[in-house]
Amino acid sequence: MESIIEVQNLKKSYRKRKSKEYVKAVSEVSFTVNRGEILGLLGPNGAGKTTTIKMICGLLTPDSGSIKINGIDNKDKRLKALRHISAVLEGNRNLYWRLTVKENLEYFAGNRGLSRRDVSVQVEELLVKFNLKGKENELVNRLSRGMQQKLAIAVAMLADSEVILLDEPTLGLDVETGYEVREILKALVRDYNRTIIISSHDMDVIQNICERTVIINQGKIITDDKVENLLRLFDVRAYTVELGDSLSEQQEQLLLQKFPQHEYTKDALKSMLSIDLAKSGEIYELFDILKLNNTPVEAIDRKTINFEQIFLKIVKGEKQDALAKPS
Amino acid sequence: MRWLNLLKANMRKEYLELKRYLPNTIAMLLTFYIIFLGLFGTIHFIGDPSTQDTNIQYVIVNYIFWFLTITVINSIGYEVINEAMRGTLEQLSMSPMGIWRIMAARLVSTTLINIVIVIGLLYLSMATSGQWLNIDIMTIAPILILTLISMFGVAFIIAGISIILKQVQAFLQILQFILMGLTFVPLSLSPVLAFLPFVKGIDLVRNVMINGISISQIGMGDFLILGFNAIFYFAVGLGIFIYCERVALNKGLLAHY
Repeated sequence: MESIIEVQNLKKSYRKRKSKEYVKAVSEVSFTVNRGEILGLLGPNGAGKTTTIKMICGLLTPDSGSIKINGIDNKDKRLKALRHISAVLEGNRNLYWRLTVKENLEYFAGNRGLSRRDVSVQVEELLVKFNLKGKENELVNRLSRGMQQKLAIAVAMLADSEVILLDEPTLGLDVETGYEVREILKALVRDYNRTIIISSHDMDVIQNICERTVIINQGKIITDDKVENLLRLFDVRAYTVELGDSLSEQQEQLLLQKFPQHEYTKDALKSMLSIDLAKSGEIYELFDILKLNNTPVEAIDRKTINFEQIFLKIVKGEKQDALAKPS
Repeated sequence: MRWLNLLKANMRKEYLELKRYLPNTIAMLLTFYIIFLGLFGTIHFIGDPSTQDTNIQYVIVNYIFWFLTITVINSIGYEVINEAMRGTLEQLSMSPMGIWRIMAARLVSTTLINIVIVIGLLYLSMATSGQWLNIDIMTIAPILILTLISMFGVAFIIAGISIILKQVQAFLQILQFILMGLTFVPLSLSPVLAFLPFVKGIDLVRNVMINGISISQIGMGDFLILGFNAIFYFAVGLGIFIYCERVALNKGLLAHY
């Protein structure tokens, strides 16, 4: 697949105001983004995500390393590279609140050297696409946060650039608008062949729309892998078994020998057994133990792990050796 | 064409914001008119009656230019601070046109819109005082254009400083009095003053409007000084702005929020 963004050995340090010490914000970050891909850039607060995003969209000069956008170095030919990229960094803050929806779209197009006539068809199309039709003459400060967010993305779309960077696109949105924004982003890739980089703390967004994620912590990339691979890697075989009777002493001893990490609780009505299996075949050994006294099994639930839990595990350093490292 | 579209977009934005913030605009105009009334009243009631007319004429021209310098130079500083705090400065900085071109378009737009207001204020103050000045467009226009170019240079310096310094408001408040000094100072005080950004230009306009001199009576030397000031201050201002932009890009200062 053809890459549209190539980030190589990116480094950036900031100088502390009082102590004059340098703090590394980003260190040796390298990754590529393929054309038409949605990449999630994740990391805890202060990990270096925003610094990386700002360097990609030319708002911050790296100390060393290079960023190529569509083959153009964004340090040497910054303005030329900016033709291929647009961003929504602060969502609704990136707009002029005393201008209307349409005036904002036209003003930002004008700042890229386009006339109102040049973009009139595109503006109408975007108003429909983003469900802003009927609100085009409304002042931005009178719109809901969700609508402002959608407008900010529409402004980025109007630039006609191949790459769109979004920093926290669903922050502060209600469930319905958050879903709508997610669907819009998917459509941008599907219908317009845009490439999107998203930085977000909303793991649902990442799990739902990103094909690949780059996870950064303390300025370094911990992993660069497909979402499905991470889900598979951290897949758990954890079960909760509801029993209709208490376990005998012998059964408890055997459980302790076979599954030392298990948890067993009992009360007057029911007993619960929580167990982590190393291999799927071990479930038969569990059944053998339960069968010894014909302990009735009322229900078995398999625990699932979501992307948020995986992210936390990765950041805490779990399965470091198994994670895909950046090439 | 891209330049023209950029200018048109910024002109429209300036006009729309002026209209949307109409109470602010009216309050600003009223403040300036009250300042003029204060100056006029002082000369009228306690000034020397023998030089009263000339003094009033001087005040009209000086205060009109003070208004213009404040709206061109000072307001770009406040605009940069507001945009940085709002988050729109980063958005503008991502334009492939380059932030300095956008700022240049803003300066031209603000100036053109404010010139209309200045003309209104000029006629209002002339009507209030009963002192009708010589409005020779053909003579004033070339002087004004060259003077404005040097003003743009200073405005670029202010815009650049406003990008990298977060606490620049206090300086901007002092700046309006520095601008007042520069617009009110007579060139006769020292010939060196001719090489300050817009002192020479305002002095020439004063001569045209008060003493009624025409373009043919202005020496080539005067135009050379105006031209030199225009090129020098614009180039220095732009250079400083581009340097400040580079510093901001290195230190991540484009957003102040």
